[in-house]
Order: sequence, then structure tokens, then C-alpha cells
Amino acid sequence: MSRYNAISPVFPDSNYTGLMIRKLLASLLLTFLLPGALPALASDSPLVAVASGMQFAIREIADSFQQDTGIELRITLGASGKLFRQIENNAPFELFIAADDSLVQKLEQMQRTRAPRVIIARGRLAVFAAHGSPWQADAELRGLASALDANQVTKFAIANPAHAPYGQRAREALQSAGLWAQVKDRLVIGENVAQATQFAISGAAQGGIIAPSLLMSDKTSNRGEYALLPEAWHQPILHSMVLLQNSDETTMKFFHYLQSAKAQQILSRNGFTPVL
Amino acid sequence: MIDGKGIEVAIRLDDPVSLEVEFKVSDKELVALVGPSGGGKSTILRIIAGFEKPTAGRISVGAQQWYDSQQKLFVQPRHRRVGMVFQSYALFPHLSALENVLEAISERPKVDRVELANGYLERVNLKGLGKRRPDQMSGGQRQRVAVARALAREPDVLLLDEPFSAVDKVTRIRLQRELVDLRSDLSIPIILVTHDIEEAARLADRIAVLHEGRILQMATHDKLSKSPVNTDVARLVGIRNIFSSRVAGIDNEQRSLELQWGKSLLEMPYRNGFAIGQTVTWCIPSDGIVVHRRNRPSRGEHENPVFGIVNEIFQFGQTTELTIEVDDPDAHPLHCSVPTHVAERNEISVGADIGLSLKADMIHIMGSADS
Amino acid sequence: MDWGAFNLSLQLAFYTVLLLVPIAMLTARWLATQPARRKAIIEALLTIPLILPPTVMGFFLLVSMNDTHALGKIWRSLFDESLVFSFEGLLLASILVNIPFAVQPALRAFEGIGNDMREAAATCGMSRWRTFRRIEFPLAWSGILTGGVLTFAHTLGEFGVVLMVGGNIPGETRTISIAIYDQVQSFDNASAALMAGVLLAISVLAISITFLLTRKPYIRIRA
Repeated sequence: MSRYNAISPVFPDSNYTGLMIRKLLASLLLTFLLPGALPALASDSPLVAVASGMQFAIREIADSFQQDTGIELRITLGASGKLFRQIENNAPFELFIAADDSLVQKLEQMQRTRAPRVIIARGRLAVFAAHGSPWQADAELRGLASALDANQVTKFAIANPAHAPYGQRAREALQSAGLWAQVKDRLVIGENVAQATQFAISGAAQGGIIAPSLLMSDKTSNRGEYALLPEAWHQPILHSMVLLQNSDETTMKFFHYLQSAKAQQILSRNGFTPVL
Repeated sequence: MIDGKGIEVAIRLDDPVSLEVEFKVSDKELVALVGPSGGGKSTILRIIAGFEKPTAGRISVGAQQWYDSQQKLFVQPRHRRVGMVFQSYALFPHLSALENVLEAISERPKVDRVELANGYLERVNLKGLGKRRPDQMSGGQRQRVAVARALAREPDVLLLDEPFSAVDKVTRIRLQRELVDLRSDLSIPIILVTHDIEEAARLADRIAVLHEGRILQMATHDKLSKSPVNTDVARLVGIRNIFSSRVAGIDNEQRSLELQWGKSLLEMPYRNGFAIGQTVTWCIPSDGIVVHRRNRPSRGEHENPVFGIVNEIFQFGQTTELTIEVDDPDAHPLHCSVPTHVAERNEISVGADIGLSLKADMIHIMGSADS
Repeated sequence: MDWGAFNLSLQLAFYTVLLLVPIAMLTARWLATQPARRKAIIEALLTIPLILPPTVMGFFLLVSMNDTHALGKIWRSLFDESLVFSFEGLLLASILVNIPFAVQPALRAFEGIGNDMREAAATCGMSRWRTFRRIEFPLAWSGILTGGVLTFAHTLGEFGVVLMVGGNIPGETRTISIAIYDQVQSFDNASAALMAGVLLAISVLAISITFLLTRKPYIRIRA
């Protein structure tokens, strides 16, 4: 075909090239519209906001719930503080599970909740050193202390104390151990405790103080050594949950399911201390 | 025009260029706008077409008013029936020649339009080339498409902006002839912008000499050459022999005037308005100068005889141009041209003596030099 | 492979292009013939989303789409829903963020047409609409298309603004780039890699199509 046929798209006087272009456009359109035909999650399935530290546990519970009831859940993970802000700004979550009870209390005070809150688990802090690290993780942080003195640890991961409860607790623990001043300039801050864990287990940081619950899954276990820190060193990490204003009956079902024995078992398997 | 036909333009523009012109072109008349670049020629065309708005004035074509600043009337370009051939031709590159012409033809049944368009293409000698796109055509063919498109509009005035400047000489001559041929079918005014005075001379009924936004003189080429109104016009028309001299004498019976040109006294037919002693600017075209045949003076050649030495010779094919140092330190060099065979026969060479006659009736006084 | 997120991203990109490109095209056409000074100022304004960090854009959008501010208020009064954390909010943000991508290439294309084309069209007696349809649009087509494809590809990859304005609501605002981020944080690098690969493939496909379709088969005639 002559190279001089001009582009004259979609207009009746066009020619062979125009026809070719129209065909191409049609197929592109189909490509774009096809996804509309793909199955999407029903937008009325319960939307749950969950603190990052509980991600493995909550997925197990959600799978179990789906097996038992057939109801699928939509889960959004994040730092509790961040999720709180979003809910404050009318994010359409129906159930909020935070790693900090005070945040949930605030929501109750702001009258954004539908039913009284329930504390479902207590979390712990773990100090972690990946395999091959020059220092050992121990419950009194002695290994860390000497590693810091010897400059063997230049990057240490915790969650962001500004909006992640695990980060705040980690800071408290380090302060209790008298190591905060030394470590605070060497911190690598994860946006939430999951990201902090990523940094620690991947070796991007030479260790960290993270949630032991995140070390229970196959994807993350056996990446290093860890030790639980004394609960006296920090405020309790209380995982509290509450139904929000726009929740419905389906969500309430899940809310109750979380309080069941099955759920509590899953939680304790994942490193949480059940409280119910 | 009293009969309401033709185009009348009277406009003033203050910026971006200063322009103030007033002229009329009758139906079937072709007027050329000539002048140096930047003089405003193209701007005038654009104003007539409606692409630029003057500061004040009127434009009317036939019985229609296209622009009137007093009535705050301004007709949009697309509502003016103007046929315009742009310097770049401005053909629509993605459309064929036929489609280009079709765009100018207004609402009619499709069949009729195509037939009409083909008719126009045929008229400009492009029969059978309708399907070609501009980049598949030569410069000359593109120009013809531009002309066909302009004519297809059935315009009230045809505007041509340097339509021959982009093609080679041979094509240009051919296109010029075609334009002359086309004119026989047209009964609208035609305005042609060109910087080539010779082209204007060949094609135009009248020439408007434009300089710095003003029309210096508007007349036939003949009149411009013989009686240019001032030095600028003379130069633009190609006259190189421009001098200042004192009026030396006026014949009592008022039949002739004498100019003191250096040592020579030139005689010319009487012209009113000049006094003895006045310094005037005058000119004489190249063909007003006759070269004396060597060693064989004849009677007719004694009119205003002048002698000098050949300073420069430029042979341009069949014509030879000469610059002559007239035998007088106060007189400026003369320019004239002779057929090459004459130059050879008379053994004209640099440094040789030469005698010339300045034809009295070709001497033209342009104005007073005092002021 | 999170098909929901994939689906969502494609829809977001598609609707952004659908809504933005016609507006961008008309804006570009208008802007192309404006006087130099005005054009420069407006063009600079329209380029702002390109140079602002996405988080800054996201922040401004988040604030103005909030229920307590103008946009959010209007939306809520019309639809009784929050504009933030909704697909529609993302769409609005996406349209604003992509303005430079959609407008710039089209603007250059319309400028490239040159005034003598438009003037020639006027001397043919063509109306403004006909001039646009028959002359300007076909001649500027490659620029318009480029704008559309760039918008599409850019929307697929948009992260910062989506995160700030959309949150991470599955089925509503969890786009493919958010999903990738999520999966990394869920220690699921395999899924993340797969989705990233798909995203890359689509982007490359989009750019290739643009290049194919914008080969100019004619040459501008300069006398």
C-alpha cells in the first residue's frame, strides 16, 4: 500500500489505512472493556481495616470464616495510626482492628462506632537478628548493646513511632533498656511493622524490633533468630477491634467470629496472647 | 467604482507595521503590488482576506462591505468570498488534490461537486491528477492545485501572494502564461503580490509600488518607467540613472528646458513648475540611452551627446550592460545596455572611449532637490 | 495475581483517558492559537502536576476532596458518598494528575499545523467545526493519540497520589501498583513480581502501539 495514504481516522472518506486504524482501535477498546467482565470482588463484602502486625493471623481467620460461612472479606492492612486517620476522614471501613486500644477508644468518643469495642489479643515485641548477623538476639538486648558499641549495627529497623503502635512500643522498650540514645540515629523506619520486618529479614537492616506474629508464617520463619522482649519494658500492645458506623449484619458476623474459640486459637498459633 | 464592481480598499494599520493605502482594482483588472520585502504587501493581502484587522478604514467588493471601521463592521474571513493563493500554497497535506479543491466548493449534491472540482483541476492543466496528494506532486503542480482551489471558491476577488516564487524559472514562465490564459475566463479583480518588477510588468495591468507601507505610485509599467514620481519608485522600477542637476535654461517659447549635468547641457521638452537655478532630481531609463556607433556618427545620434570611458562591462547572454564614466568629474556614472552583438561590433571594451546620446523625451524630472 | 486490582487499574486508566483526552484535545486546540504570553502562562499552569511531587499533589487533593472542603462537600451533597477513598475520587485525581501528559503532545501537534492551514481553510469558506474535523484533527491526530497513550500508561503506574487519595480499599481503590506494594509488605514477592511483570508488559505494549500509529505517512509541504 502506498506510504502516502494519510491517517484519516474514523471518518467516512478514509481509506485502507483508516480501516486498519479503526480495527485497531476497536480491539484496543475491547481490551480495556474486557476487564470489566472479569470477576471483581463484590463491593458489599465486609471491608476490614487491620493492623499490619496481624496480617497472617487475620488471613487465616478470614479463610476459616469463608469456609464456614461462604462470606469473603476485603482486608486492608496498615499501620494502626494511618488507618485511624483514614477512618477519621470517612474511609468506608466497616470493622477496625488496631494494635493500640487508645485509638479505638478515640473512635468511640468520636461516635463513629456502632457497638462497644472488644480487645481480642495481646501482642509482644521481638528483637530480631537475621542469619549471619554479627550479633545475637537475646531478651535483655545485651547482644544488641555490645553490637552497637562495636559499631556492628549501623541500621536497625522499627516501625514508625509516629503512627504505628509497634513502633511506639519499640521505642519504649529501647528506652527502658537504655539503648535509645545510641540507636536512634541508626534507625531505619518502616511505614508499618510489616515493612520494618521486611527490612530486618531481608538484611537491609542489621536487625530490628518487630512483631513476633509476623515471623510465624512460612514466608518469614527461619530467616533469623529472635527473642521476645519483657512486657514490662513497654506499654501493653492491646489489639482492640470495633464495628464502625457503616457496618452491616455480615460484618457483625465476622466481629463475633473473631471472638470465637477457633479464632482465638489461630491468634495464639500466630504469636498473640489471647485475652478472651 | 460607480458601477459598484471591483474592489475598493482604503485602510490604515498602526502596528505591528505602519501601513496606509488606498486603491481600487476593477473587475478583470490585475494589479501587482510591488516593493521591497517587509513593505507591507503581504499584509495588505491578509487584510483584504480578513486575517488581520486594520486600525481604521474600509474594504468593499462590488456591492458588499467587508470592513468598515466607522460602522464597526468586520466580516469574518470564511464569510468573504476571497480566493487566496498563499506563498506556501497551504495545501492540505493529507488530502488529495481533488479533495483540496472540494473543500472550497460549498453545499451542493456530491456528484455535482466532484464534477465541478474536476473541472477546475482540468482548467489548471491538472486533469487526471486529482487523486495525488501534495507530496506526490511537483512544485508547479502544487501551485496549480492552490489556484484551482482558490478559483473553486468562486471568489469575488483573487489574491495571489508571490505565487511563482517557489518554482524554477522554466516552471515560472509556464505558470505565468497559464495565469494570463485563466484571466480570460475571470471577471473578478486580481491582486498579485511580487517582489519581481519584471514579473509585474509581464502580468499586471497596473502596478502599485509599495514602500514602507505607502503606495508611492500606481500606474502601468510603462508610465512608471517613463515618469516615476520619485527616486524610490525609479529605483524600484529598475532605473539606475538617477541624478541631480540645476535647471540651466528655459526656452522663451516654453518648448524646452535645459539641465546642467556636469559639463553637458541636456535639452528636454518643457515641463511646468521649475525655475532657472533650481536643482532637480531627474532620471533616464536604460533604453533612453543610445550608444554611438564607433567612427560613424549619424545625425539622429547627436541628441544630447555625451562622451565618456567604459568602466564596467557585464555580459548577460544576449545583452551587455555597461557602466560609463562620463567625462566629467561631477557627473555620475551612466548605466545602459546594448545587444551583445552591437557591443562586439563596436569593439566596446573596458577603458575604451564611447559616445552616447540621451534621448530628450526619455529624460524625466521627478522633483525639486532643494528642501 | 490480583485480578481485582488489575481490573481496577485498567478501568481507572480507561476512564481517565475517556474523560480527559477529549477535554485535553479541545484545550490544546484552543491554546495553540492563543497569543504567546497567555499561552506560556497557561501552559505553565497545566504543567504543574508534572513537576509537583505526587505526595504534594496527593496531599492537596486529599484536603480538597475531604467532606469538609469544597469538592468533597459538593460530591457528598450530590451522591451522599465520600469522594475520598472512592473510585470516583481516584478518577478525579487521575484526571488532574494526567493533564500535562494529555495536553502537551496534543498542543505541540496543533501548533505544528501552522496558521496557514487554518487560514487556507477559512479562505475555502470552511466553518470552524469543519476546519477542526477535516483539517486540524487529522493533522494533530498523532499528538492526541500520544497524549492518550501516555495518560493510559501513566495512570496504570500511578502510586503516590492513589495511595494518599484512595487508601487501599480492595475493589475500589486498590490499583495494581498499590497491590504490588501490598504484596511486598505481605512478604509475597512472587506475586509482586508477577504483577510488576504484567504492568511492564502493558506499558511496553502501549508505547509500541503509539510509535506504530504515529508514524507520519505524509510530509509537511514547505514551499
